[in-house]
Amino acid sequence: MSARRVAVPSLLGEGGVQRGPNTGIPRRRFLFAVPPLTGHVNPTVAVGGELARRGHKVAWVGHKAALEPLLRHGAQIFAAEDAAFGARMEAAREQWLGLRGPAALRFLWEEFIVPLGHAMMPGVQAAVRRFHPDVVIADQQVLAAPVAARLRGIPWATSATTSAEFTRPLAGMPKVEEWVRERIGEFQLDHGIDDLLDLRFSDHLVLVFSTAALVGDTSVFPGHFAFVGPALGRPPGNDFPWEWLDGRPAVLVSMGTLNGAAAGRFFQVAADAVRDMDVQAVLVAPPGAVPDPPSNVLVRDRVPQLKLLERMSAVVSHGGHNTVCEALARGLPLVVAAIRDDQPVIARQVAAAGAGIPIRFGRVREAELRDALAAVLTDDAYRAAARRVRDSFTEAGGAAQAADRLEKLT
Amino acid sequence: MTSADDGVLAEVVRMLVEVVGEDFLLDVQVGPDTTFNGDLALESIEFVALAEKLRARYGDRGDFAGLVAGMDLDQIMNMTVGDLTQHVEAAHA
Repeated sequence: MSARRVAVPSLLGEGGVQRGPNTGIPRRRFLFAVPPLTGHVNPTVAVGGELARRGHKVAWVGHKAALEPLLRHGAQIFAAEDAAFGARMEAAREQWLGLRGPAALRFLWEEFIVPLGHAMMPGVQAAVRRFHPDVVIADQQVLAAPVAARLRGIPWATSATTSAEFTRPLAGMPKVEEWVRERIGEFQLDHGIDDLLDLRFSDHLVLVFSTAALVGDTSVFPGHFAFVGPALGRPPGNDFPWEWLDGRPAVLVSMGTLNGAAAGRFFQVAADAVRDMDVQAVLVAPPGAVPDPPSNVLVRDRVPQLKLLERMSAVVSHGGHNTVCEALARGLPLVVAAIRDDQPVIARQVAAAGAGIPIRFGRVREAELRDALAAVLTDDAYRAAARRVRDSFTEAGGAAQAADRLEKLT
Repeated sequence: MTSADDGVLAEVVRMLVEVVGEDFLLDVQVGPDTTFNGDLALESIEFVALAEKLRARYGDRGDFAGLVAGMDLDQIMNMTVGDLTQHVEAAHA
C-alpha cells in the first residue's frame, strides 16, 4: 500500500470545512434555534455558513424534516418537535390562510408562537446539553431558545428575520402591545424564569437582517442592536428553463411559500394584468393556479429565486421580508400586496423608501396591478430608490457582519 | 337614530364603498353592525385609505387612530362600522 496520505474531508458537518484566513479567533460553537418556516431559516443558513467557513462549529435545532431541505447537505440538526403540535398546526393551516389583521395576530401568538415554544423546549434543552454552544441564536419566534440559554447562563442572540418589530407596529394599540408582552412573560414564568425579558430582543445581541434605509432611523436603538442587512447566500435551489426568458423586461411574482393556492385569485389577476404588457412574468404558484396562462406568463411551483432575480427587472411580492430584501439587494423595485402579519409593515417600509408601490391583495384589480407594475418598471425613481437600499445593504455587511458580531459574544 | 347619526353613517358607508369597490360589496349590506375585519375583511392598505378619507372629511374628529388606541385585541377584531360612526359623533358633540 502506498504511504501517501490523502486528505479526507470531514463527514461531521460544516465544522469540517477548512478554516479561512480569519484565524485570530478560537473555534466556537453556535446553535441556531429556528421555527419550521423557510423565511426564518434562510438567513441563518448564510450566517451559519459564514461561521463554519471561519472554522466554528455550527448546528441547528428545530423541526428536522422542515430544516433538512433548507440547510447545506450534512449540516448538524438537533430535533425539537412535538407530534401533537405538528398535527394541530397541520389541521389549523386552512384556518390560518383565511386570517388577516388582528385575528392573524391572535392566532400567531396563541396558536403558533407560544405552543411552538412549549413544544420545542425539551428539544432545545437537549440540544444545548449535547452541543454545548458558546452562543445560542434564537429566532424571534422561538421562545424556547432564550429561555433555555438563560436557564444555563449561555449568551444568546436574537435573529430577527423580519424588521417589522423595529418600527413598533403596535405602538398605536397599547393594549394589544401589552397583550403580546403578557404572552411572552407567561411563557417565561411557565419555565421557571421570573426575571422577565422581552424574548424578542436579546440583551446581548439583536441581529436585524435589514438596514436604516428600510427601517428608518436606527440611531435610537442601543449598540447591541446590529442592523446587518440581509444575509443572502443560501444554497441554489431548483431548475429553471432559462431559455424561456427572451430578453424582454421580466417580473417575478412570488406570494410566499405558505400562501400557495390561497393566492389563486391574485395569480389569475396578475396573469391577466401582464397579458398585454411587453414583459414576461414568472409566477411562483402551484401547478394549475392559473389555468391557461398567456404566453408571456410562466407558472412554476419552485424557482431558484436568488439566481432568477439576476434576470428580473421588478418583483411582485406579498411583502415577505426575505423576498423583499432579496429583490432590493439586487436593486429591483417592488409591487407589494401584503396579506397578513408583518407584511403590511414591510409594504409601508418599501413605499416609504420609494422603492415600490403597495397594492391590495384580496380585492386587487387588474388595472391596479398593471399600473403599479408599469410605474416601477418605467419610472426610474423606484429603481434609483431600490439601488440606494441595495447600497445600504452592501455597506451593512450581511452574513459576514452578523458573524463578526456573534464572534464578539464569545 | 337622529338625522345627524344617519349623516355620519351614510358618509362612512359611502367612503367604505369607495375604498372597497361596489362590486365587492354585492353580498354585503353595510350597516352599523358590519365588522371591518370579519364581514368586510378590510386590508391594512384599505384601512389606511379609509382613515385618510375620514380625516379629509371630519378633521380631528375622524381620527381613526384615536379610536383604535383605546381598544384591546378583541375589540379591534370585532370593531364595527357603528363603533366608528359613534366615535366620530362623540367627537362632534
